[in-house]
Amino acid sequence: MFAKKKSLWLFLLPGLTGLMVFHLVPFIGGIYFSLTDGTVHNRLVWFENYRRVWGNAAFRQGLGNSLELSLLSTPLIFLFSFVLALMLKTLRERSLPYRNILLMPYLVPSSALLIIWMVIFDYGGIVNRLVAALGLERVMWLESGALRVPIILLYVWKNVGFSVVIFSAALQSVPDEYYEFAMLEGAGPVRQARSITLPLILPTAFLVFVLAWVNAFKIFKEVYFIGGAYPRDEVYTLQHFMNNRFAKLEYQDVTTAAYSFALIVLVFFAMLYARKGVRGVDRH
Amino acid sequence: MTGTKGARPRRLGRLISTLVLALICGLTLLPILLTFLYSFFPMSEMKAFLDTRNNYDQARFMNVLLAPSIVSLRQYYDLLIDKPIYLQLFMNSVKYTLAILLGQVLFIPTLAYALSRFRFRGRETLFFLVLMLMLLPFQVTMAPSVLTMRTLGLMNTAWAVILPMMFAPFYIFLMRQFMVGIPSEMIEAGLMDGADTVRSFFHVVLPISRPILGAAVALSFADAWNMVEQPLIYLASTQNQMPLSVMFNSLSSSEQGVIFASAALYIMPALLIYSYFQEDILLGIQLSDMK
Repeated sequence: MFAKKKSLWLFLLPGLTGLMVFHLVPFIGGIYFSLTDGTVHNRLVWFENYRRVWGNAAFRQGLGNSLELSLLSTPLIFLFSFVLALMLKTLRERSLPYRNILLMPYLVPSSALLIIWMVIFDYGGIVNRLVAALGLERVMWLESGALRVPIILLYVWKNVGFSVVIFSAALQSVPDEYYEFAMLEGAGPVRQARSITLPLILPTAFLVFVLAWVNAFKIFKEVYFIGGAYPRDEVYTLQHFMNNRFAKLEYQDVTTAAYSFALIVLVFFAMLYARKGVRGVDRH
Repeated sequence: MTGTKGARPRRLGRLISTLVLALICGLTLLPILLTFLYSFFPMSEMKAFLDTRNNYDQARFMNVLLAPSIVSLRQYYDLLIDKPIYLQLFMNSVKYTLAILLGQVLFIPTLAYALSRFRFRGRETLFFLVLMLMLLPFQVTMAPSVLTMRTLGLMNTAWAVILPMMFAPFYIFLMRQFMVGIPSEMIEAGLMDGADTVRSFFHVVLPISRPILGAAVALSFADAWNMVEQPLIYLASTQNQMPLSVMFNSLSSSEQGVIFASAALYIMPALLIYSYFQEDILLGIQLSDMK
């Protein structure tokens, strides 16, 4: 660790300047923005904007949908990636091709997959063929509230591999002897996962969970691809509200909605950080 | 190894894992494979196929197309030769992605180095802010960012899309988590008293960081190549400057005959980048402090 070095500025300054101008200043400026009236006088109106935005039905709809989409997709990604990582571990070195395939969608642009997704989920598409083969009523995946399903699946399809990789990395650090001992004691695979694996990788699991949750909050792209700027009510996210208000030049509303949202995200973040603080951020 | 007692359930577990993983991997690959497969269908056949969508007749399904009547490169020919607009949009994507990656390579490792190996006042606060910014969606700072861009005179120029992504907080976080884990002895060994920080950066830290650099380049490529939110806002009044990722939405209705080839062409660079950097992604994340 270097202390009191002049060269610090050489490394810090270029990146820090950009971070300030393009990320930090807008973030802080936005707080002020959300507290003023947006006229030429820029009068401070304190929480007037918040009162108006929270009273807006479209805002509440968007916030509710964003929460709902993230509440549905986070546990899916979390559980799914944990189970897949456990399975990969049992295959040892032969697991590599599977892991590579699982991560692939993270790199593939989901924009380009829009069309095949629409074909697969069409009323007469493959998915409905399966549904009908099971003797069930066909579903209007793209034309009703069921649109949530293809959106969440596209999101999970794209993001689960990244969580698998993080989990796999953590699982590799658990010594094999623990499992061998547990097996001698007669513990089955579920018991082993619960009593050995989970406690040992808990910090990583927490990170995966928070990242998955916060990223799920950001589901917009997937909805925009499938539903456009004004999708059905059921999938109208908070980001749609902000984008559309933005298009109408109602910047105060956009920013106020944004910070209401940011506050919720930051509560999760505080949880993450508090944990880190307890364990000590600076271990060097 | 344990005795025979544990061997059988373990073998069974391996078998189940293999089957489940093979199935899931198959499903994972399916949309990509179908996109490529359909890109070799004749345009008319594809158009006819897509026209059978949105049919709510209970008795009818779309055909399951698995083989073209004739393998055709017509879709690609049409895109690359007959429709210059497609190539132009494609090149926009290339331009933005390259510029963003170049900027990140210049600015992010150095900043991560400062955040991980130097002790200075406000370091923890700065890292806290980076973490916080990384978690917020783009829309949170959208309106004030537009004001910033307008003040700098960058609205509706390529720079408005490129510059903020050059300093993307997530990659600062990623690099920093890796560099924090490099043992101090490694950095300080071989350096005289009053260690030369610049030399240690170039001769020790950067070479060791090779996997995470590769991982960051690949992940960031994926982000930039698939970006939608930023161009929609910053390039709103210059349609021909949009990257292709934004335009698939409108292409899918207007260019039905060639849509699969355009998708396949857009996926291909991503697959190339992935196959080149995939070891780095796995290794980089494994060696980082992901807790």
